[in-house]
Amino acid sequence: MNARANPAVPSPRLPGITVLLLLGGFIGAALLNAQHTAPWCLPLAVVAVAWRARGLRAPLRLPARYLRIGVALLVTGAVLAGFHTLNGLEAGASLLVGMGALKLAETERPRDWRILAGTALFLLLAACLDGQALWRLPLYAAELWLLCAALYALGAGADAPPVAALLRHAARSLALALPFALLLFVFVPRVSGSFWALPQRHEAYTGLGDEMSPGSISELTQSGEPALRVRFDADLPPAAERYWRGPVLHRFDGYTWRRQPSHVGPVPPVQYQGEAYSYQITLEPNQHHVLIALEMPQAAPQDLPDTYLSSDYQLIEPAPIERALSYRLQSYPQHRTLGALSDAARQLDLQLPADRNPRSVALAHSLRAGAGSDAGFVDAVLDYLRQGGFTYTLEPPLLNLDSVDDLLFRTREGFCGHYASAFVMLMRAGGVPARVVTGYLGGSWNRYGGYLYITQSDAHAWGEVWLDDRGWVRIDPTAVVAPGRLTEGLDQLLPGVGAHGHGLMSAYWITNALQAWQGMNAWWQAKFVGFSLARQLALLDRLGFRQHDLRAFALLLAGGAGIWLAFIAWGMRPRRAAAGDGLSRSWRLLEHKLRHADAPRAAHECTSAYAARVGARLPEWSATLAALARRYARLRYGPPPSAADLVQFRRAVRRLRTPARVRRAR
Amino acid sequence: MRSSGPLRYLFEPRAALAATLARWARARQGDDTPPLALQARRIYILPTRTGLVAAALLFLMLLAGMNYSNSLALLLCFLLCGVTLVSMHECHAMLSGLGVLRAEAGNSYAGQLGELQVDLENAQARARSGLQLRCAGCPPSCFELGAGTSQRVTLHYQAGARGRQRIERLELSSTAPLGLFRAWTWLHLPLQAIIYPEPVGDRALPAHGGEPRRTDRRMHVGGEEEWAGLRPLQESDSPRSVAWKVYARGGPLLAAHYDAPAGMQRLLDFELLQELPLERRLSQLARWVLECERLGESYKLRLPQLTLPAGSGDAQQRRCLTALALFRQ
Repeated sequence: MNARANPAVPSPRLPGITVLLLLGGFIGAALLNAQHTAPWCLPLAVVAVAWRARGLRAPLRLPARYLRIGVALLVTGAVLAGFHTLNGLEAGASLLVGMGALKLAETERPRDWRILAGTALFLLLAACLDGQALWRLPLYAAELWLLCAALYALGAGADAPPVAALLRHAARSLALALPFALLLFVFVPRVSGSFWALPQRHEAYTGLGDEMSPGSISELTQSGEPALRVRFDADLPPAAERYWRGPVLHRFDGYTWRRQPSHVGPVPPVQYQGEAYSYQITLEPNQHHVLIALEMPQAAPQDLPDTYLSSDYQLIEPAPIERALSYRLQSYPQHRTLGALSDAARQLDLQLPADRNPRSVALAHSLRAGAGSDAGFVDAVLDYLRQGGFTYTLEPPLLNLDSVDDLLFRTREGFCGHYASAFVMLMRAGGVPARVVTGYLGGSWNRYGGYLYITQSDAHAWGEVWLDDRGWVRIDPTAVVAPGRLTEGLDQLLPGVGAHGHGLMSAYWITNALQAWQGMNAWWQAKFVGFSLARQLALLDRLGFRQHDLRAFALLLAGGAGIWLAFIAWGMRPRRAAAGDGLSRSWRLLEHKLRHADAPRAAHECTSAYAARVGARLPEWSATLAALARRYARLRYGPPPSAADLVQFRRAVRRLRTPARVRRAR
Repeated sequence: MRSSGPLRYLFEPRAALAATLARWARARQGDDTPPLALQARRIYILPTRTGLVAAALLFLMLLAGMNYSNSLALLLCFLLCGVTLVSMHECHAMLSGLGVLRAEAGNSYAGQLGELQVDLENAQARARSGLQLRCAGCPPSCFELGAGTSQRVTLHYQAGARGRQRIERLELSSTAPLGLFRAWTWLHLPLQAIIYPEPVGDRALPAHGGEPRRTDRRMHVGGEEEWAGLRPLQESDSPRSVAWKVYARGGPLLAAHYDAPAGMQRLLDFELLQELPLERRLSQLARWVLECERLGESYKLRLPQLTLPAGSGDAQQRRCLTALALFRQ
């Protein structure tokens, strides 16, 4: 068949408004997915929608069948070439956008349009799967509203109501559906685990990583992205003790610190001292498998069953952390590690690359020789850093491959990563087992949310050394270079940052608004995005269900759904229109009172004839009824009555007491 | 093959099930006498094919949301479930409380489509849309009822054999607002129509005074019939009846109209058609009745044991056709 032979679509079978709503819904869905679909998706959708919208004015010639099939194959090929799979969110969404755009080229019947609407709904779902950030919520809601209106237009067929009525109808339905949706959201048990394998996302997360090269953290510190939020059950720990422990780095090649892939060995015992802090952490997605905890966590969180505490006190989560996680912990900032260091661990934390940073190695040897003990060596190195003319900066010069030599003897500028790296390297060179700990330091208090808010710019690195009589001891070399870093945020410490970033941030109301927004975000992430089976079980507990089984969920769901359905049915019950004015209503009340006396007034019967007919049945009432009918006629057809006349007439009708034999049902 | 008893479920499952359902609904609801308002308990509702597909898609959405442990996707899925259920109630409310004020069946000829008229009233403050009223085997009438309005709906029924026909039930349905559900109710209204014999036959009209005409219907102006006047030409008029003289003078196309003189009625006699079987006879008589009416002639009908007096016009036609319809019934 060739394109010319195809019949022209004379006019859209659906009203223009329906088509416009559907096209708008589709393009909206494509826009919401623009971030993660293939780059050709959005332009293709725009072209298809524009072409179809043109058809509202002039008849369209649909492309020939072989052309459509060809383009469909092309789209599939493009997705395969771009993502190497048809599975997965990005590939699936791209395919949906492409196929929806193609569907527009053959959309004639209502069924085709229904398929398009379904495609748009699935694209909305894909957008939800792609991102659940709070700021996207209004966009999703608007898109859902539009699509619902389009569905109602589609359902109305050839005579669609005006768009305002459609939007009203959709808004009303969504509002009615919301309680039901929340009920299901809360009480449909969250089955854990995946039904089908999820391909890995190809996204780079900012934040702590599996490795640290001094210089890579400088990008991090610029980032104001949220890292975690902490809600303490009681008091906050002092600012100097807010060390949030993350990945521990053991392996050093002279330039880059890396994690040890496997964490073998038992957890060395820890003697907890001082005050215990219980808190709830909401952790943003990250790319390492380590949960952040206040030093020193007592045990792995109970609400994440797969998480365990490794031998170097990292909380390891085997699954990648792809969405916000929420967990409870208890930590003791005051603690002391007990026991001895195993040979394997000692060897790991003394490892240094041969022939790298020779001047630093020589420095370490000389300092160790001058110090009487390991502890004295630590103090000597810290003294060296304190007095060597080192400065703290966020914009350090680049370092060469012998990074520690370069830092100590040439640039003398750097931030926490530089000093932690140099310190730990010097320790190892001096024969003291040491390792780099990365994590966060500090955090800002959000008074709206009542939690500590820690961003990626709070990222920090410090060192841990093994002293035979004291176990693992935290040493923060940054503290001796820039003592203020411990108690204040980076903003206060660095005049350079304040010069261009501070004027705006110091405006009180902006800070306030930012904090409020952060608070809302925190609530959203913790309560909504992070809603899980554990939360559901906790909720069951609070509702008094002792048994955590499916029956409790089923009971709650059935009960709630029943109440909701009854409410909806009650709202939809037949209600008579309040037709006519007050005078008509008064007369209808009269008829209602007389309903058992005689047959109801026929549509053709005038009020006086009706009064006469009923009056004949009830002789003792005939005069009253005739008078009322006359009065009604005068009020209705005579000169315009006053409000008082109408009220009097209504009273007269109300006062009428029909005889008992009339009131009885016939 | 037709069978009865439980076996018919085997051979014609759909039809048998439909018949059983119809009997059950009839026994449950009883007869309807207008005016009446549709009670909720007699409105049935089931998902449409589109509704089933939508349910499958919602399930797919649920799986996706669960699979990704994505709260927002789950909420979206549940919201759409809620909208679907709301639309179910809306669909039900399209019929619930609808008033049926009056129903009347128009007579028809055997084998043709007859007309039914049903007056429906929506006393509610909400419009009812997407309504369909149908009689089994005929295309539905689609309409909507605005808030507080009433409307007369005309629909068709398939007329059966000659005689009285009871229209057992009407089906009033709606798939509004989303087309995911279809609510319907069965109305068992007292609808009875008289089915006239099918007006077919090739015999010429009997001559005036009772003799069948042997010649064709050629006639002359001023011959046996009296000139009665001119009337606008109708499509059914033969070219011979056109008043050409008027037309030649520049006037409109008019038909000359003749009346049989008094005492010159045609006698449409049952006995004239003895060689035909009964139904063909009645059909021929019905056709004659219609032909006489078309010619505007006066006629009388004689059946065994029944003679209808001469006359013409709608009333006469209805009388005669009814007599034919009910003959030996």
